[in-house]
Amino acid sequence: MPGKTIVITSGKGGVGKTTTVANLGTALAMRGLSVVMIDADIGLRNLDVVMGLENRIVYNVVDVIEGRCRLEQAMIRDRKINSLYLIPAAQTRDKDSVMPEAMKRLCDQLAENFDYVLIDCPAGIEQGFRNAIAGAQKALIVTTPEVSAIRDADRVIGLLEANMLKDIHLIINRVNQKMIKRGDMMSTEDICSLLSIPLIGIIPESEEVVISTNRGVPLVHDRKSQVAAAFKRIAGRLEGENIPIPLDNHEGSLLSKVKKIFGAG
Amino acid sequence: MLDSIKRFFSDKKSGKVARDRMQIVLLHDRLSIEPEIMENIKNEILAVLSKYMEIDHQSISVRVEQGKDYAAIVSNVHVKRVFRQAHTHTTNTG
Repeated sequence: MPGKTIVITSGKGGVGKTTTVANLGTALAMRGLSVVMIDADIGLRNLDVVMGLENRIVYNVVDVIEGRCRLEQAMIRDRKINSLYLIPAAQTRDKDSVMPEAMKRLCDQLAENFDYVLIDCPAGIEQGFRNAIAGAQKALIVTTPEVSAIRDADRVIGLLEANMLKDIHLIINRVNQKMIKRGDMMSTEDICSLLSIPLIGIIPESEEVVISTNRGVPLVHDRKSQVAAAFKRIAGRLEGENIPIPLDNHEGSLLSKVKKIFGAG
Repeated sequence: MLDSIKRFFSDKKSGKVARDRMQIVLLHDRLSIEPEIMENIKNEILAVLSKYMEIDHQSISVRVEQGKDYAAIVSNVHVKRVFRQAHTHTTNTG
């Protein structure tokens, strides 16, 4: 059975697409699954530095598509996990140097040999976006609780549906429970009802993300991190496990205290 | 004094303000309807109206009207004649 091809997209830049791809890819591979991540942000390569693999790049995705190297030559194996690979973006080309059909062929070919093909989509809704979604069967929308990110997410959802990509799930990133509690951030329920697509995970806002990016080691390697736990739960949900999504914890309520004692959430 | 107390109690939290604004913004964004879908909407309106009255098919107009805090679909059709009974097509399954 071919693997799952999933595009991670958002419309707006800077909401955490690349961080999500790096952590989700690592979390899936840590479960023993084979995973390949494609950086489809041609011209603005970044997934390699987030993964700490920037020194190992020889060939890139455009080289594969244009036949300058074999597929295996462009696949960089992760430093820690043997079943995790990265295909980096080209840095010196522009987004028009790839066509959707070529991208689809590449994704189909990779899905033959991997459990998961994760595609890191560039920001925006132009050619780069169309390339990134061409080979995907499923989409994960990353948004943050900010009006600009939510508006762009809604636009992208409309475009995906118009392109017959209808298996779409939502990840809400950088959720700050303290701000939600004092009423200064849209709640995760509010965001879900605005965008009306199913939720697959909530990632708390955390300084840890910047620190792990600085080091080039995805945060999911950190056993104590809340963010890591949240990404691992998303990996479990992608694998079909029924893991409930802890919505905004209204601290102080009896239920949340009981839940805390039993370690749920 | 009274004003500041009133403001304190009526001031919406910024999270609620954001949600309410987004409800309107997304409604307006989603109403940018593709031409083919607009054509389908017109045809379906014509089909429904034709059951009850004779209408000028050329006269139909459908447009999206957007106000500050609402959005509406406005359609105009010229009616020529109203039927006494609806001309519905019943399918005979017998």
